[in-house]
Amino acid sequence: MTATTAAAGTPAAVRPRRGRPTAAGLLRGMPLLPALVLLAVFMAGPIGYCVYYAFTDMQLTGASATHFVGVDNFTRALRDADFRNAVVLTLVFVVGSAVVGQNTLGLGLAVLMQKAARPVRAVTSTVVIAAWVLPEVVAGYLMYAFFFQQGSLNAILRHLGLPQQNWLYTLPILAVCIANVWRGTAFSMLVYSAALGDVPQELVEAAEVDGAGPWQRLWRVTLPVIRRSVMTNLMLITLQTLSVFGLIYTMTRGGPGNKTETLPIFMYQQAFTSSLIGYGTAVALVLLVVGALFSVVYIRMLKVEED
Amino acid sequence: MAVTDSPRTLRVRPAAGPQAAGRARLARRRRALTGKAVVNVSLLVFSALYLVPLLWMLLASVNAHADFRLSVPSPTGENFHRILNSDTTYRPMLNGLLLCGGGTLLCVVCSVLAAYPLSRFRSRLRRPFLYTILFSTGLPITAVMIPVYSMFVQVDLIDSMPGATLFLAAAALPFGIWLTKNFMDGVPTVLEEAARIDGANAMQVLWRIVLPLMWPGVIVVTIFTFIGMWGNFFVPFILLLSPEKLPASVSVFTFLSAHDQTQYGQLSAFSIVYSIPVVMLYLVLARRLGGGFALGGALKG
Amino acid sequence: MRTRRRAAIALAALTTVSAATLSGCGTGSGGGSGKTIKVVYQQQLNNANHVQADFLGPMVEQFEKANPGTTVKLVPVTASENDYYTKIQLMMRSPATAPDLVYEDTATINSDVASGYLRPLDDYLRTWQDWSTFAAPAKAAMKYAADGKTYGVPDNTDTRGLWYNKQLFAQAGIPVPWQPKTWADVLGTARTLKAELPGVTPLNVFTGVAAGEASSMQGFEMLLYGTPAADTSLYDAGQGKWVVGSKGFKDALDFVHTVYSEQLGPSPQQALGANIQAQVGTEMIPQGKLAIDLDGSWMPNNWIRTGPEPWPQWQSTMGMAYMPTQNGQGSGKVSMSGGWAWSIPAKAKNPDLAWKFTQFLETRANSAQWNTVNATIAVRTDVASDPAYLKALPSNAFFTALVPDTYYRPGVPAYTQVSSAIQKAMESVTTGQASVDKAASTFDSDVKTAVGGDKTVQGAR
Repeated sequence: MTATTAAAGTPAAVRPRRGRPTAAGLLRGMPLLPALVLLAVFMAGPIGYCVYYAFTDMQLTGASATHFVGVDNFTRALRDADFRNAVVLTLVFVVGSAVVGQNTLGLGLAVLMQKAARPVRAVTSTVVIAAWVLPEVVAGYLMYAFFFQQGSLNAILRHLGLPQQNWLYTLPILAVCIANVWRGTAFSMLVYSAALGDVPQELVEAAEVDGAGPWQRLWRVTLPVIRRSVMTNLMLITLQTLSVFGLIYTMTRGGPGNKTETLPIFMYQQAFTSSLIGYGTAVALVLLVVGALFSVVYIRMLKVEED
Repeated sequence: MAVTDSPRTLRVRPAAGPQAAGRARLARRRRALTGKAVVNVSLLVFSALYLVPLLWMLLASVNAHADFRLSVPSPTGENFHRILNSDTTYRPMLNGLLLCGGGTLLCVVCSVLAAYPLSRFRSRLRRPFLYTILFSTGLPITAVMIPVYSMFVQVDLIDSMPGATLFLAAAALPFGIWLTKNFMDGVPTVLEEAARIDGANAMQVLWRIVLPLMWPGVIVVTIFTFIGMWGNFFVPFILLLSPEKLPASVSVFTFLSAHDQTQYGQLSAFSIVYSIPVVMLYLVLARRLGGGFALGGALKG
Repeated sequence: MRTRRRAAIALAALTTVSAATLSGCGTGSGGGSGKTIKVVYQQQLNNANHVQADFLGPMVEQFEKANPGTTVKLVPVTASENDYYTKIQLMMRSPATAPDLVYEDTATINSDVASGYLRPLDDYLRTWQDWSTFAAPAKAAMKYAADGKTYGVPDNTDTRGLWYNKQLFAQAGIPVPWQPKTWADVLGTARTLKAELPGVTPLNVFTGVAAGEASSMQGFEMLLYGTPAADTSLYDAGQGKWVVGSKGFKDALDFVHTVYSEQLGPSPQQALGANIQAQVGTEMIPQGKLAIDLDGSWMPNNWIRTGPEPWPQWQSTMGMAYMPTQNGQGSGKVSMSGGWAWSIPAKAKNPDLAWKFTQFLETRANSAQWNTVNATIAVRTDVASDPAYLKALPSNAFFTALVPDTYYRPGVPAYTQVSSAIQKAMESVTTGQASVDKAASTFDSDVKTAVGGDKTVQGAR
């Protein structure tokens, strides 16, 4: 992963010193202090509490006492069909909208934009970035309007003579996936645009002379060169997509039924609609673990390549 | 689409001519040209599709009887007129700017400070620390709000704008630090070593040498942080009690997620007004980056 | 040198800022003096709707004038209902943020009492003459079963029944006024309408998860409480147990299933969509596309001059009928009620003044004014006969008359989870995903998971 490898890759990195923390070492670490204090007080503390809550039956209303219940919340989750549904939907959402959707579309746009005329490039990047800059809830509202039965998407399909449907009812998970692609692709596009600028042009041309087609050039030359960007990008958009809440909540509130109830929505509903704080925080911890698992996979993939 | 057929027609032609070599070169150039046309046209079509939802918002905001249909109205300023008042728009927007502006500033300053040792010095703790903060970006912030509320009550920070600002900054720090560190890794250390030999200390080096070389990075972190905070509804909703302190995100979230609303024109107008600060921030700062593309620079890996 | 100083200043500034904020810029604690109270209520989502703010503002002025030296601070919370509950529950948890008076949904009062958030009002009520004018079911809903004490003063309620379009009935040749006596009558009329009026939806019964509590309350419970078990059909308050496996539950579910499988209702797509409630009130009914709607007393709020879909003709077009019990048993009619009440948090700093303000809000005159401007149903029996109130909306007389026969939902915390289970069961029979028996048994197991098997009891088969 970049965090660890980039510094090593920087040619003149200050020589690593290992061993016991010395006075000088502590002094060097001083600039970390404000961030550490903020993180310790405002994040670590509450997260610690959450870990504790996850093992209790805490409720915001309906019970005056809170009891320690061990792993009950987690075993309950495993038995809860709605929870399993939320896990599956979260995976579908992350893989569909981030790993496949944003990632591929972002790469595709970056590649095409390299070849496009300057004004076209400007137009495309402006539009894509505009969707990304908008606040999440506004994006959710626009996507709700877009996929609504009498909305723009069906109007376009009607003009093209294609079949229409009530997207938010029949294919809600697809609708929220597309919404997340619409909103988030700019990130991947920017990452890949920057990365492609670093691919040596001679390499690409050499491959072309050797008779490699565009796909082969992308697959054999470009992707291996930018693989570090790919992995970093994948990890970041995965983590971002895992915790997407406002977009889905504005569009569907997790419905119809529980067809778009991903883990953050499920957690919110349990903790605040049913006021089961204990159960809700347990779900949040599961979400944290899912994010860590994804990250570990990406980090491993980078490592394997390096060895 | 007709455009996609043309390369194939072109490919047949060169073989028919006698001076194959010259023609082939010509054909390759033509093919490149057609390829370019295909690329340009498909990007434009794609952009048009991408634009539709935004276009709907713009049209609906000036439509007195807006619904979800994409229609061109006889423009009216009524929707904007209705929402542009102190209670609905001005005060919440100002609160939002104070909260998110302060939070962003604090977050960026702390991130830059924290990134320096993380980028320049090795330690056994560095890697676990970086992973920990990175993973924590995947945590839905709604989950921690209950303990945060209790804590804020205990230290008497509840209903305090500075308190909410501190929390917003802290919540944005993990990603901020991580991003800033990546940018800083890209700044060559040669100049720094020279400065150190001249006797400059770490803070001087950071301020005089490193920062000037990574302004684009700082701008990117600023944009990221601000966008994230500006859309955050739950944190200010829980931590602030007095209605006059609440930022725009609270009302916008409430309005936009309530599907029994029918005043789509006003909602769209509100969405536009609400989006202006982030769009402006992006336009102003991204121009200094020379287009948006430096944004990706930090993540090249 | 300069840089070092600057950096030092920056750091110092940073720490000062944090220290300053930590050491007490917090102003949330509010004045603890005996003369000030904080009153929290929900600001409706619709940003044009300031009915309650407009009502409370002048009330506060009058109250402060009548009680010199007192200050009433109004704190509106703009949020959806769920987020409003979350927020007031958090506020009531700690003495520093607890308001002195809070506007509570009658559905959450018991749950908040169980958490110890609210203060019993019995001592105050004993000496308050007006309390005897409050309708009995409304008073009963304010009582916490475990200790028999009263925790709120209701200031409005709503009742439910059948709205029907007289013009469409005339077209279909059905005589008006219409009053079905059994469920079969309702379905029979719907079938006639379907045969006579193509393109018109005969009967709307809210269903499924998206419509949320509207499905549970306007839809399902209006049926379930009309089965012979009546108010013990869902929750047996005497035993403190939830009823599962009853015939009544299946019958109610079967009604829903019949409506949607015979296409007497909106298409399942429409019925299960997120904005069905707005569609029914602002489109389907005013456009004459829906003949019968099982809905609430507040429907005219959609159609009045200031509503989202002004439709003055509703007064002549729409008729009202009570919802009959399953076979016409008992009083023959059924209604469900909700509504809001004023409660004093346990950690309120100034409960006495809060009570005084409550009394002031709930005088006959002020109560009547509130029910009139808010277009809600009165809970004071003397307001119920107030001519100004009855004239405010032509439907008031009809829906107020249902107050003696109405039921409140079980005031138990687990209700929200049971309600979700109801919505799930309704959704699965609406789409046809599950049979009535299957959906009912899924409901039973959902309820057992949510409340624990020992908190359920087998209902009459």
